[in-house]
Amino acid sequence: MARKSIIKIKPRKYKVGDIVKVDFIVIHPMETGMRKDKKTGKIKPLHYINEVKFYFNDELFTTILPWETVSTNPYFSINMKVTGPGVIKVVYKDNLGEVNEKSKRVRPKG
Amino acid sequence: MQRRTFLQGVGALPLVPILAGSLLAEAPKKPKSKNAISFQKALEVITNGKGAKASDRVKLIVPEIAENGAVVPVKVNVELPIERVRSIHILTTKNSNARSADVFLTPRNGRPYFATRIKLSQSQDVVAVAVLDNGEALMASKPVKVTIGGCG
Repeated sequence: MARKSIIKIKPRKYKVGDIVKVDFIVIHPMETGMRKDKKTGKIKPLHYINEVKFYFNDELFTTILPWETVSTNPYFSINMKVTGPGVIKVVYKDNLGEVNEKSKRVRPKG
Repeated sequence: MQRRTFLQGVGALPLVPILAGSLLAEAPKKPKSKNAISFQKALEVITNGKGAKASDRVKLIVPEIAENGAVVPVKVNVELPIERVRSIHILTTKNSNARSADVFLTPRNGRPYFATRIKLSQSQDVVAVAVLDNGEALMASKPVKVTIGGCG
């Protein structure tokens, strides 16, 4: 199942050599395995993202290992040094084996 | 005589269900998290048993009072060159799983910075640990007051 995710680069205009913020948001329930379903009374099973990898031109530069204590629809923000044009690719997995990815082009100006 | 015993009996009756009720209320325990780990143990694993030193080089930004424990923004800045910082870890002292996120950085990051949003089950301390390239660990912690819990 494809999940909705966003990659944002801040600020929107940047040059080669700048350090930019890379924000990543994904729509995910992040169940703790401790909550009850109000309708059925059953405990909702543990379901969370456990690995997020950031690639720039297929070179891994950051690994985040989140736990279920990260909020619903997780948001992660890191810094990145712009060395030239390229593509940021984010690959994320959850504990049920679901793997998805999202890409964003990096276009420095000037 | 009969009247007295009857009254005593009536007086004693309501006590029994109250007692039983309080015992029953404690019985159904909350389900334990599969990843449950205490704060002390998590810190030991991250620092290889060496423990972390409190340092003002690690800047942790959290709200003092969180109205909703399900969404608490956490921001960490480490005032050291990126080449020296290997990883940043976010921990909590009282959540059933003390770990929140482990971030492994490389020189391409430019600056050791990480931000996310976490859940807090109750008022507790949020701790940021930065592990350096020589194995040293620096730590900063801040208390957060929570009015509505978000973990379980």
